[in-house]
Amino acid sequence: MTASVAAARPEVARRTRRRGGIVPPWWFAVPAILVYALVVLYPSIAGAGSAFTDWSGIGEAKSFVGADNFKQLLRDDQALGALRNTLLLTVAIVVVQNALGLLLALGVHTGIKSRLMLRLVFFAPVVVSPVMVSFLWKFVYNPAPDAGLNAALGAVGLGSLRQDWLGNPSIALWSVAFTVIWQCAGYSMVIFLAGLEGVPAELHESAMVDGAGTVARFRHITWPLLAPAVTINVMLSTVGGLTLFTQIIAMTNGGPGYATDTLSTVLYKQAFVFGKFGYSTAVALVLAVFVAAVSFLQIGYLRSRETTA
Amino acid sequence: MTLDRSVSRRRLLQLVGGATVTATVAGSLSACGGDGGSSSSGGTLKVIGVGDQEAGLRKVLDAYKASHSGFDFNLSFAPADQVQTALRTQLGGGNAPDVHVVYPGNGSAMSMAQLGKAGLLTDLSSQSWTQKVPAGFKGAFQHDGKTYIFSPGSSMLGAIYNKKAFATAGVEPPTTWSELLAVCDKLKKKGIVPIAVGAQTPWITQLIPYALVPGTVYAKTPDFDDKMSAGQASFADSGWADAMDKYLELQKKGFFNDNPNGTTYEQATSMVGTGKAAMAVQVSAVLSAFRAAAPSPDDLSMFPFPATDVAADNWIPAGVVVGIAVSAKSKQADQAKSFLDYCGQQENLNTWAEAVSCVPLYGDAKVDPALTSFLPNLKANKAVPFMDQRWPNAEVQPTHFAVVQQLLGGKTTVQDALKKMDEAYRKGA
Repeated sequence: MTASVAAARPEVARRTRRRGGIVPPWWFAVPAILVYALVVLYPSIAGAGSAFTDWSGIGEAKSFVGADNFKQLLRDDQALGALRNTLLLTVAIVVVQNALGLLLALGVHTGIKSRLMLRLVFFAPVVVSPVMVSFLWKFVYNPAPDAGLNAALGAVGLGSLRQDWLGNPSIALWSVAFTVIWQCAGYSMVIFLAGLEGVPAELHESAMVDGAGTVARFRHITWPLLAPAVTINVMLSTVGGLTLFTQIIAMTNGGPGYATDTLSTVLYKQAFVFGKFGYSTAVALVLAVFVAAVSFLQIGYLRSRETTA
Repeated sequence: MTLDRSVSRRRLLQLVGGATVTATVAGSLSACGGDGGSSSSGGTLKVIGVGDQEAGLRKVLDAYKASHSGFDFNLSFAPADQVQTALRTQLGGGNAPDVHVVYPGNGSAMSMAQLGKAGLLTDLSSQSWTQKVPAGFKGAFQHDGKTYIFSPGSSMLGAIYNKKAFATAGVEPPTTWSELLAVCDKLKKKGIVPIAVGAQTPWITQLIPYALVPGTVYAKTPDFDDKMSAGQASFADSGWADAMDKYLELQKKGFFNDNPNGTTYEQATSMVGTGKAAMAVQVSAVLSAFRAAAPSPDDLSMFPFPATDVAADNWIPAGVVVGIAVSAKSKQADQAKSFLDYCGQQENLNTWAEAVSCVPLYGDAKVDPALTSFLPNLKANKAVPFMDQRWPNAEVQPTHFAVVQQLLGGKTTVQDALKKMDEAYRKGA
């Protein structure tokens, strides 16, 4: 309604908004746009050009190789293995982190006295540097039977579950995923909490009057109204999962072997370890396009779900 | 000049835009007294080294500063794993430090040949010490006939062992492969881990193959590197397979600590230092780190790690240790070159070599007593440089790290692992 009125009388609408101070003049953003263009847009676009060269990252020697780097990517076993790892990690992170975040949010969205303290506790890992968290978890994952997680398992009679958490190629990826989930679940929780705060209490009250139980109220009231929070959480954790880098480098450096390599670690290694900056930029471009495509598809689907909910 | 600068800036922006932004290691050191920086001939030399170099490099820099008024330096160190990221970013951006770490030969992204080829290093050929580089080492120091790197000498690669642990099990350093297996067996029965392996730290994974390959490959085919570059040999069809089989045999017999892939270099060092493990295959440059981890430094010594049962075939790996070079873009190139010339003087060379337990590049100074068992092989010309120094690109070595971790994790076979290394090798320069 408001939109159609504004469209019919644009002059009035614009003036009204200005007078109300809702839309500040666009040129207020110029300094920010300039800085952004200089430090983000220009280097990104200039850097993208390297994807079509064989530049080593140092020195002057550089020649145009067309789409060779992209063709090579399709035949690169290491990159394809990394793509598989990236997708597995992303699915694990999106599903588990958000499920855990939702459970935590529902748990602390109560009237109990310690709820603020609990929120703080669950959110605490988010504010710690990912490198610090990785080193902390390297101690937890110490393979010695009398250290860290293995010692804890032994103490509760689950000694048979002891593992070489980061050294076993079959387990390492999931160990890293768990660390990321542990750190970021609090973040999802906060977004879900904000969503929960927006659910009108009257709806629950009237549903209760109608005899709806906890599960029914969650399914028919809370969950549909949480749709915007789900959209944000899924988007953020998907992008985080697809570009996961810090924790991998700090905990396993992509190893053992190639077991925990992701697209981000592959592009890093190509640039700085193998000295193939051109190829690395090609991987980076493909990753960027992939992340953008997945995000658009997701947001399209999740937003349509929000409107029908 | 202006053009140079604009190119540099563009490069830097490209680096920042195209890949992950990396931390730079340059620290800022407040000028510490004296007239540092005020003299026109002096100024503060920016130096970045790698951790293993600290003991030697710092000593020589301090000595040079004491004898040269107006000279000061700003020295910082980066861990080996980060040197490639941090320094390459600076090199790419055209703002490299005046003097920085460089690896000898070819085969890593920060090696002398790769950086020399890219025109990033100053030619040192006019310095007198370069004439004394032994013929066999020239490939490590020179590219296209020009010397680009200074290194204090060669490091031995063998077993660093804990004498007390050996005494507890009543064993002596072995001289053949069979003896080695017997020694490991006895140690294991005494409840001592025979060999500590910290394969979670990537560069550790290569050390056992490097120790075995001189015996299984080079003793029979001394020109193996030439054959490889001519395409007449491969890792998969050579004694490399034998070396890898032996690596796995040691693991299958339970002679390593549990979970080598989950164990780091630091943990392995501490295991040997404290006698929980009896030995670790290592380079002599880290002897000081092992000694620091032991209750008494005299507990530790070294012996050549035998690869075969034919004593004459047990060649040793002796690689030129990581060195330093002068950046081609240094604004204080004269100062920097004068410092490298100073490093090349026998006395200073000896000081540095002693601090990092290596055999000096030339001259006959005393070496660390732990290395005496290696000297007969050196004299008999039964020593080969570390294998990566002749590899053609920076991809073979990381591939080697990864396939060893896969082998130790039971995720690949020796043949598949070596085929992967062959593929990486054939990608050329």
